[in-house]
Amino acid sequence: MEWRQSTIRPEPDRGGCLAAGGWLASGFQCEHGRPMSASPAQPSDGTVRQPPLDTRYLVETPEGIDLVLHPAGLVPRALAFAVDLMVRGLILLLAFLLLGQFGELGMGLASLTFFLVTWWYMVLFEVLNQGRSPGKQLLGLQVLHDDGTPVGWAASLTRNLLRVVDLLPFGYSLGILSCLAHPAFKRLGDLAAGTLVVYRERAQPRPSLPEVAAQPLPFALQADERRALLAFAERQAGLSTGRRRELAGILAGPLQVPEAQAEARLLGIARELMGPS
Amino acid sequence: MRLTDSVAVLRPRSPWEAMDLGVLLAQRHAGLLMLAWALPALPLLALLSLLLWESPGWVLLIFWWLKPLGERLPLFILSRALFGATPRLGESLRALPGLLRAEWLASLTRRRFSPTRSFDLPVLLLEGLAGKELQQRRAVLATGPGKRGAGWLTLVGLHLELALWLGLLAFLYLLLPAQTSLALDWQQLLEGTPPDRLWLEHLTNGLYALVLMVWEPLYIACGFGLYLNRRVHLEAWDLEVAFQRLRRRLGTTTGILLLAAGLALALPDAALAQPPAPQPAQALGRQAARADVQALLEQPPFSHREEITRWRFGDPAQAPDVDVRPSAPSPLARRLAEALEILLWAAVGAGAVLLAWRYRDWLAAFAGRRLPFARRAPPPPAEHAAPHPAPAALPADIATQAERLWADDPGQALALLYRGLLERLREDYRLPLSEADTEGEVLRRVRRLERAELQQLAETLTRHWQNLAYGKRLPPAELKDELLAAWRRQFGSGGTA
Repeated sequence: MEWRQSTIRPEPDRGGCLAAGGWLASGFQCEHGRPMSASPAQPSDGTVRQPPLDTRYLVETPEGIDLVLHPAGLVPRALAFAVDLMVRGLILLLAFLLLGQFGELGMGLASLTFFLVTWWYMVLFEVLNQGRSPGKQLLGLQVLHDDGTPVGWAASLTRNLLRVVDLLPFGYSLGILSCLAHPAFKRLGDLAAGTLVVYRERAQPRPSLPEVAAQPLPFALQADERRALLAFAERQAGLSTGRRRELAGILAGPLQVPEAQAEARLLGIARELMGPS
Repeated sequence: MRLTDSVAVLRPRSPWEAMDLGVLLAQRHAGLLMLAWALPALPLLALLSLLLWESPGWVLLIFWWLKPLGERLPLFILSRALFGATPRLGESLRALPGLLRAEWLASLTRRRFSPTRSFDLPVLLLEGLAGKELQQRRAVLATGPGKRGAGWLTLVGLHLELALWLGLLAFLYLLLPAQTSLALDWQQLLEGTPPDRLWLEHLTNGLYALVLMVWEPLYIACGFGLYLNRRVHLEAWDLEVAFQRLRRRLGTTTGILLLAAGLALALPDAALAQPPAPQPAQALGRQAARADVQALLEQPPFSHREEITRWRFGDPAQAPDVDVRPSAPSPLARRLAEALEILLWAAVGAGAVLLAWRYRDWLAAFAGRRLPFARRAPPPPAEHAAPHPAPAALPADIATQAERLWADDPGQALALLYRGLLERLREDYRLPLSEADTEGEVLRRVRRLERAELQQLAETLTRHWQNLAYGKRLPPAELKDELLAAWRRQFGSGGTA
């Protein structure tokens, strides 16, 4: 197990290892690392192969299309809840200060406000604002049904009324444990209502490819391979020179070019894949 | 470390999602991680408690202060587990002393309160750097959103520990029966713990350790996820995996192509003209291939098997001969059973009676012997061809009455005359008139009597009556005298002759 970047040593059967020295953006040079342990990192053969871990939740539509959702974990949800708590506290404080001026009528109205804010704040925001309370909106979260449809009254009411259960015995203990143990990070209210808190898709800025001449594809590529080549070109700015050269070098053999030219060749191919734009 | 061995899908993620990946990884190895955390930590806590029995607060403080050292073993396990080489518990514990040595002093002093502890630890522990290099490396990795995520993680973790700890305490407090509930004197709690309550404080410390046992591996896993994500971003690990896979795919296919091309070029014509390669080996290969294909076809995507369980009548011949009848019941039970049987039959009978009573009308209408009209008289049939509700009895002198009526309402008069005619026909001439007879049929019967005068009267009267009844045409005024004269001539002035 070698977590440190070590000098690359081409191994025909294993493929390239991690980067050569000097590929970090800072120009940080490192020596040969001390291995953590002498035992080689081999997957134990006796274990059953489990599906790869991923933070995705696939919903298959009747047309056979997989919708990809990204369930949100405990930390952003806790922060969103904290924001909502503060907003609610602020609303209540203002309401009591304002309505306190009007004697008994004011206190009655304040009680109504208290009820509304306590029990309906989340529900109203979730149903009327595309599954987002202000805290969730700030953190980029969204509540959906399990099948990816927008959350409705019944589900939202259920999941928010069951906060009472999640609260037990103190400070959302049950909710925290359920959220940490569930593969899609659901608390008990989510389980009962069949809802899912996901990261909202944000509009990505249009990626810019380096301006090079397009070059024809030397071999047929599958969809994920095309995607990888495009990503390689799009993420040029985030990668160091050395690392780019190393990554491109992996494909120098199949491209039948010297390693030094592989990167330019890959960029040209990516340009070709991108098409005229 | 081979990236292709990774059990997690490597791709650039947002910091939040990176933490989620860490949680998923920790979930998969939860038992091992918790044990690996607890096995060194809980004995340590026990030891501290024994040494400092009088001051539980200090025990808690020291235990809490040493927390970063306990995070190293879970991280070691996680880093191995990511690439499919999950160590056994024994192996991990043997690796512990080496893990604790690295930079332990800085971890406990300078960096103890660093909010990004979970994110920094992998740099220290997994990359094995020290001193200035470590600083530089941290600086490199910290230039991204990962560090901020680690700060939030620590903040949330702080509150989460507190919430779970208090939750556990509250849970235990709820379990206390009401009678034995401790009379909590809050003031006394503030002043200090009496010596006989020290065990309670130590119990609280133990509960805190339990909370940490759950949360610490997850905290470390989240930080590890952030670190991993940073490296995926910086070094494009996902692209490396994809490129390796592409090279392997192309390598095998181009290899085969090259081999085929080489063979075709190298073999001279003479070699091609020679008899083909030895057959048996190929035949064997074909058989093996067929068996392979067969085996493949019997596997799920090609063959569809399902098991259906349904009820069917048992086969009496195959039924076990064991006498499963119970022994004779006791007299009391038998009497009870009889009473129950009577009760049930009575209920059935009562139900039938109730049903019959409920549907008595229906039964009377469709299944009874008596005619339904016997009990409920039908409405009287309308008077024959009478457009108005006429009086039941005819007046004695029909002609005079009709004459009087004619001035007001010729229709009424005509109706009276027609009814009188029918009455006379039935009584004087014994014509068998029935209610179903039409005017035409009455006339036909009159014609059969062969009395010219009567026939003419009847025809005139019927024609005008029909004109009135169906055509709403009033009889002409001059008809009155003629008709009445004929009437009087025929039947006399008297009513019943």
